[in-house]
Amino acid sequence: MNAANAGEILAVSNLTRIFGGLTAVRDVTMTVQAGEVVGLIGPNGAGKTTLFNMLGGSLPPSSGSIRFAGTDCTGAPSHVMGQRGVSRTFQITSLFPSLTALDNVRSAAYRTTRTGWGAAILRSAAYRREEAELRRKALEILAFCDLDHRADTLADAMSYGEQRRLEIAIALAAEPRLLLLDEPAAGMNPEEGQRLVEMIRRIRARDVTVLLVEHHMRVVASVCDRLVVLDHGVKIAEGPPSQVLNDPEVIRVYLGREPVDA
Amino acid sequence: MNTNSHAQPLAIAGGVAALAVLPFLAGNAYLEHLLVLWMLYALLALSLNIVIGYLGELTFGHAAFVGVGAYTSAILSTQLGLPPLLGLPLAGLVAAAFGLVIGYAALRVVGPQFAILTLGFGAILFTITNHWVDLTRGPMGITDIPPMAIGPLAFDSARPTYYLVLALVLATAWLCHALVGSRTGRAFLAVRENAPLAASLGINVFHTKLMGFVAATAIAGIGGAIYAHYIRVITPDIMGVHNVAALIIVVIIGGRGTILGPILGALVYIGLLESLRVAGPLRMVIFAALLTGTVVFLPGGLVSLWQRWRNAHRSENNLPATPTGLPSTEGGAK
Repeated sequence: MNAANAGEILAVSNLTRIFGGLTAVRDVTMTVQAGEVVGLIGPNGAGKTTLFNMLGGSLPPSSGSIRFAGTDCTGAPSHVMGQRGVSRTFQITSLFPSLTALDNVRSAAYRTTRTGWGAAILRSAAYRREEAELRRKALEILAFCDLDHRADTLADAMSYGEQRRLEIAIALAAEPRLLLLDEPAAGMNPEEGQRLVEMIRRIRARDVTVLLVEHHMRVVASVCDRLVVLDHGVKIAEGPPSQVLNDPEVIRVYLGREPVDA
Repeated sequence: MNTNSHAQPLAIAGGVAALAVLPFLAGNAYLEHLLVLWMLYALLALSLNIVIGYLGELTFGHAAFVGVGAYTSAILSTQLGLPPLLGLPLAGLVAAAFGLVIGYAALRVVGPQFAILTLGFGAILFTITNHWVDLTRGPMGITDIPPMAIGPLAFDSARPTYYLVLALVLATAWLCHALVGSRTGRAFLAVRENAPLAASLGINVFHTKLMGFVAATAIAGIGGAIYAHYIRVITPDIMGVHNVAALIIVVIIGGRGTILGPILGALVYIGLLESLRVAGPLRMVIFAALLTGTVVFLPGGLVSLWQRWRNAHRSENNLPATPTGLPSTEGGAK
């Protein structure tokens, strides 16, 4: 199972996270192939966000290992995962509130830019070239997320839907190889959800692998190649959406309970 | 935007020209002295603004680094006879070294805990300076500090010193402007705005904060050294609580996270300090009220008044307004 596959970008094996007496994630083993869109689903409290936090480096695993692009990343801190090409969005809207949309995206391009303070003081040719290129790229990403008309608007003055798109723009500005989306459709109406599906498809077309946690089954079913289902921290099913969403066990733990939760 | 891109360099050129002729308009030595103090406070406030405005961390230790710089240059020139001109960069280096060690320890925590740690480290430096009489002459202070000189040009009076500090203020303003327009500065703002998100984008939050803190302490040290060679006498009071408070007041009243703010705040502070001299100790109460009033009613500081006016003006002309915004290149703090 751990044999290096040419297309394998993420390999998680026997990952476990214990909080005091609670095992939030237990022995989860899964892989993500480059270019895939994989959905991580499960009822509330199933350990999805805990797993995400471990993949993003903000939470060290209790045991098990994480390999990203062939390198062991177990326990690497958040900024190291970021530098290696794992970008994420957060469940609760997370951006740079008092900066403009354009500066949000420019700040996020830290990984892909090189010239620093010294070059800026001297206004070197390399600095000016990179700044012009960065501006062009940032505007392109804003246009990609349908926010180019809001480039000079402060992030906290934007509507909720715009903020959620800006979060994705921020994550994309780091030019990630793997993008972790934590409930991107939360609080969206069906129309916005459909727009998100389109956006995720276009993100994949940029050669970015996507792993997303999502509750909106319509979004999950229409955009994911493969689903991984967690319940009480344990992986209970894996496979293409059509198969997983018809799995009796999945229906029992998750879909069957949904009307009760809602 | 188009009119703005022409208006801004013009306004800056006009402002610099006004600052350059100011000593000739002052007319007397006392006013020239106040101009020097204004520029000194502007320089120190600009450095503190890197921490408060760009990194978003409150530090109560800044005056201690001003003191480290002042004592470094004063001791080197009085005891070793080193030319003050050489003492200046050394003061910056020594203050930065202190900043590196203290920042390395204190920046492990953030927010109020960091502020309290800096208060503690500031108090330790003050106490050491006050009691290590062999080195610092303790509460008696160091007297007869030689004035700074570049070749035949001696900075032994207010007017030449004013131009020296003005040059440093302009240089520091440029450093800050370049900072917020660079990858490094955008990382500062990202860390201020949202540290977990910044980290997820590959920014090392601790290193970023340490870098800003050390840069701020280096500039503070240089400012302290100029102060020592200008006033010619220093006592441990330079590291005292009132100086800590003064610098914070200057940055907040002027407008944190901007370049014009600390310079403007220093003008207000020095102006009020002198014009309220009749009020005696009551001055500090007035400053406290001003600080509180600014925080409550004008969180963006004095510079945000201009922003408000411009936004009102723009909406009159149906131009897009930047809501509450300081220009993004200034990286306005909330």
